[in-house]
Amino acid sequence: MAQRISRKIVITIILLVAGFAILFSVGLKGSLVYYLTVSEFMDPGRRTDLGDHFRVNGNVLSGSIKKHEGAPGARFILTDGRSQLPVVYNREVPDTFVDGSEAVVEGSLGADGTFVAVTLLAKCPSKYEAQNRLTNNDRRPARATPSSDPEEGGVPSR
Amino acid sequence: MADFGTLCLFLALAASGWAVIASLNGWRARLGELVLSAERAVYATWALVLLSVLSLEYCIFTDQFGLEYVASYSNRALPKIYKFTALWGGQAGSLLFWELILISYASLIVLTNRRRNRSLLPLVVTTLAFVSTFFLGLVNFMARPFVRLAFSPEDGSGLNPQLQNPFMAIHPPCLYLGYVGLTLPFAFAIAALATGRLDDTWFRTTRRWTILSWFFLGTGILLGGWWAYVELGWGGYWAWDPVENASLIPWLTCTAFLHSVMIEERKKMLRVWNLALVIMSFLLAILGTFITRSGVISSVHSFTKSDIGPVFAGFLGLSTLVSVGLLLYRLPDLKGEHRLDSFVSRESTFLFNNLLLVGAAFAVLWGTLFPILSEAVRGVKITVGPPFFNEVMVPIAFALVTLAGICPVIAWRRASPRKLVEKIQIPFWALLGGVVALLLRGVRDVYALVSFGLAVFVIATTVMEFVWGARSRQKVTGQRFGGALLSLVDRNKRRYGGFTVHLGFILIIIGVTGSSAFRQEATASLKRGESFSVGRYRMLFEDMVSRDSPNAEFMGARLSIFDGERGVGTLVPGQNFYKAGQNPSTEVAIHYTLREDLYTILTGFDPHEGRATLKAYLNPLINWIWIGGGVLILGAWFAMLPDLRDRRRDAEARLLEVESRAA
Repeated sequence: MAQRISRKIVITIILLVAGFAILFSVGLKGSLVYYLTVSEFMDPGRRTDLGDHFRVNGNVLSGSIKKHEGAPGARFILTDGRSQLPVVYNREVPDTFVDGSEAVVEGSLGADGTFVAVTLLAKCPSKYEAQNRLTNNDRRPARATPSSDPEEGGVPSR
Repeated sequence: MADFGTLCLFLALAASGWAVIASLNGWRARLGELVLSAERAVYATWALVLLSVLSLEYCIFTDQFGLEYVASYSNRALPKIYKFTALWGGQAGSLLFWELILISYASLIVLTNRRRNRSLLPLVVTTLAFVSTFFLGLVNFMARPFVRLAFSPEDGSGLNPQLQNPFMAIHPPCLYLGYVGLTLPFAFAIAALATGRLDDTWFRTTRRWTILSWFFLGTGILLGGWWAYVELGWGGYWAWDPVENASLIPWLTCTAFLHSVMIEERKKMLRVWNLALVIMSFLLAILGTFITRSGVISSVHSFTKSDIGPVFAGFLGLSTLVSVGLLLYRLPDLKGEHRLDSFVSRESTFLFNNLLLVGAAFAVLWGTLFPILSEAVRGVKITVGPPFFNEVMVPIAFALVTLAGICPVIAWRRASPRKLVEKIQIPFWALLGGVVALLLRGVRDVYALVSFGLAVFVIATTVMEFVWGARSRQKVTGQRFGGALLSLVDRNKRRYGGFTVHLGFILIIIGVTGSSAFRQEATASLKRGESFSVGRYRMLFEDMVSRDSPNAEFMGARLSIFDGERGVGTLVPGQNFYKAGQNPSTEVAIHYTLREDLYTILTGFDPHEGRATLKAYLNPLINWIWIGGGVLILGAWFAMLPDLRDRRRDAEARLLEVESRAA
């Protein structure tokens, strides 16, 4: 192949690939974030060597949402059924953020043990609601799986 | 009706499976009748899939909430248009919709190639029918749209409010038309590899289809961004979300292909590379569909949870194996006929353009799949944030823009550097002038200066290309300048369509730069009669308003907008409370101008104190993204129109075929 292509072109290709490699490593360095469940996050042994910026996934504990007054944002508790994590978020919350919605918060743990989130993604519990409403008639639907469809929610709020 | 739909789906699976077997065996045994039967099976599959889609729509329109799909994605009060779009609101329906598009494309291919490409067609049909059989298998056994509930609820839970937006009626079909369309060049590539007919037939036949898919995919991506902008209420349009990335990756490889295929046409070079690009684009489109439909990446530890995950992985693995195997098998026959000898030539700019595009695709793919890879390797999901994508993509985008500026003025084969310098003199001065003007206006952001400078450069070289071409035509024909320009463009639709696409792309770059580098925002909590400002706009909170419709109840804040002291109208940002679901939906209000958008959101209202919490963004130049998109669409359509040259070539090809059959 080397004979078919001029040397200058080969050199430029090598430079380009090297450039990609540098861009990749520099870019990755600052943007890796560990993604954990609430229990994994609350387990200190597991967390300490992973840095201080995290993404945590759980469900919003029903009744725990306290919206800030006169300012966007809210305090709430994130849970995965086993552990609970108090969270504060100071920007406008997405529409999908309601009692019971599945949420992903990104940020770090504050000194008082409250997780300070800089992003909040919430997936609306429409499917779960549908399930509830259907099961309220005391008859379970034949098959109702919680949706894993990002188009139904999982909407970023920035 | 539901049973009828199920039956149709099952029969479609049988017909599609038959098409695979019959056309493969028909090709092997050279049995024309078997091949013909496979082609008829494609039509039959199309009719059956269409019938089942219609019966699903019928069930949605007649509110048959006994079906799980209808109960989950529709409700009585849902407006008609969104009942129609509920077809692709959920997983099962959207996979069915995917299949409908695929089999429609396949039928069109069979229909238009009744008398052409007969040697390739059996394997084209095999490939298309194979993909179709896979999707039919999914909707028959894994994600079934016609599943019944044990009882029939009174009302459905309704379509997600965020999908109740006109954009959502066009965006998914557009995206799907693009994703699915990439199967067509793939099928021809596979047929060419399998039969060993590796001349230019496969890509000439699919050229328009490829541009069409590229166009739909690109339009879908843009509409998705626009939808996010007007509907999601965070003031932006792109978040490097896995679903967005999934559509961008095949678009990038397809863009690379559309460029490098020109080299193959002229020089018979890069043949393996082109086949590889087409195969990659198809595999990435399937991967994209999978990412979009399964949500594997957005949730923690989810790979095992997704039921269609392993099936998709199996299909992808098999397709990769077959295509790479065929490619390796034909490698000895794919030697290029010419050398790429000159560094300063248009060929080499295309080569670098390809490397950049594929590098960009790889970067986005890497960042998107990183969570899955890290979970597989280390057991912990590690996500890659937007900074990675921005840091990698911005330099690549700058390099691409530079190439787009140099490419038109550089000659094929071997350009003389002196002539090149001569030609880029004016654009270069334009670049410098633009940067100085921006510096004088107080712009200090380096990225913005580079971006706008390069944009001026590309616009200058591209416009000059039109002007020079028209001038030299003027000399030959003696026409007026306008007439010469028109006839020049008309005679080279592909070339000038391509340049128009470049201009659209540059406008998009300008819009992206403006709205990301110079964005401003403000938040305020106001009582009636109070105001707040962002940039040069002042917003006065007048009153709360409410509106009632059968589907939803709207509550909004009426704002009077002032540009300095001049009133420029009112905006009513608010929230919709849908009657079927509990979630309110934010309805942003936007004051659009070419210079900037004023984007307002009502984030809360306290009825006791009468206080509204409002947020406003100033997004400079953002509308140039959508305008650029329009220019891009125009250019792409223009490039697809038949050229005089194409028509002559087609006629010749047909003549040859007739002669060879007669002989």
